[in-house]
Amino acid sequence: MAEKHKAAPMVDEVSDFEILEAAVRELAIEKGLFTADDHRRFTEFAHSIGPLPAARLVAKAWLNPEFKKLALKDGVKASLEVGIDWLNPTGFGTPSDYTDLRVLEDTPKVKHVVVCTLCSCYPRPILGHSPEWYRTPNYRRRLVRWPRQVLAEFGLQLPADVEIRVEDSNQKCRFMVLPMRPAGTDGWSEEQLASIVTRDCMIGVALPHPDRKQDDKRPIHPAVHPIQHDHGHDHDHGH
Amino acid sequence: MATTTTTVTEERAMADTNAKNAGAGASRQAPDASPITLLEKIRSRGRAWEDLAVQYGVTNPDPPWKVSMFSTCEALAVHDCLETLDRRASEDDLSETLYRDIPQPERQLMALAHTMIRRGLVDEEELERRMRQVHERLTSA
Repeated sequence: MAEKHKAAPMVDEVSDFEILEAAVRELAIEKGLFTADDHRRFTEFAHSIGPLPAARLVAKAWLNPEFKKLALKDGVKASLEVGIDWLNPTGFGTPSDYTDLRVLEDTPKVKHVVVCTLCSCYPRPILGHSPEWYRTPNYRRRLVRWPRQVLAEFGLQLPADVEIRVEDSNQKCRFMVLPMRPAGTDGWSEEQLASIVTRDCMIGVALPHPDRKQDDKRPIHPAVHPIQHDHGHDHDHGH
Repeated sequence: MATTTTTVTEERAMADTNAKNAGAGASRQAPDASPITLLEKIRSRGRAWEDLAVQYGVTNPDPPWKVSMFSTCEALAVHDCLETLDRRASEDDLSETLYRDIPQPERQLMALAHTMIRRGLVDEEELERRMRQVHERLTSA
């Protein structure tokens, strides 16, 4: 059914920074420092990555104690088992966040959570792009000061006797969390286990649950007290 | 209580290992952090994404050119024009000094352009000329 479409807001202004980025890139290509195709392939890679390899790493560690030892000792080497080569993740070059990966194991008494207080360092090759909230000053500044409170804002209420360790990412070292395997997953396959290890579980702001999967449809709850929108008749928000 | 476990010694060891693995045997060059006229002009008149996004009601936290800038960095590294850890070290130095007051990712872009000019990968005057051309092109439609 045709419906009126209201254009999403766009920045209708060309900034000097946008011009600088284009000028630097064009000159580099003209000088033969790299080709336009090189640049396109890196951009395509950047848009294709996601959290699935990290979820597989967690599932493998849950199932295989030897692999878990390797993951905790050498995250870069363990990543190879899920198809991620940190030295060359794109397959055609060294990425800007080529670095070290450390896998942080949660225990019943220790909960890890990852942040980048300086900017937005994140284990992109294995976990994809960081969520928007990860890059906000709210998360970056407050998590290191009040981790228990910030985790509670994500809906993660931890008992007082659980120590929270915040790891601050940097240009040379990135982190991901190996959460504890939840009850109710006995006998599950690696694929089944990987399906419940969401991105947020590996950042450390959530815990895996056997009923919550990466690709679950997000529930849409009707508002108890709906407010009227000025474009309420132009859109069907139920889809 | 928040804790961090990465020590300076560990970071140094990792950096050395990374550099060795990346085949970058050359020693780090401390960046020339003296101001560059063209980039100072951009600093004074350029509007960062965080301002533009608020003005236009856009919720995307990153400017559309950010991924393209990353790709430029990666393409420069793969062809050994500007090795990754070398660029990041230069960016860190410049971020703490000359470009400290510029938000991300504009700061990273300025540091990249600064480093490329100082290393002779691009010339300041030709970059200024190219910026004029790009401006005319992008604002002509």
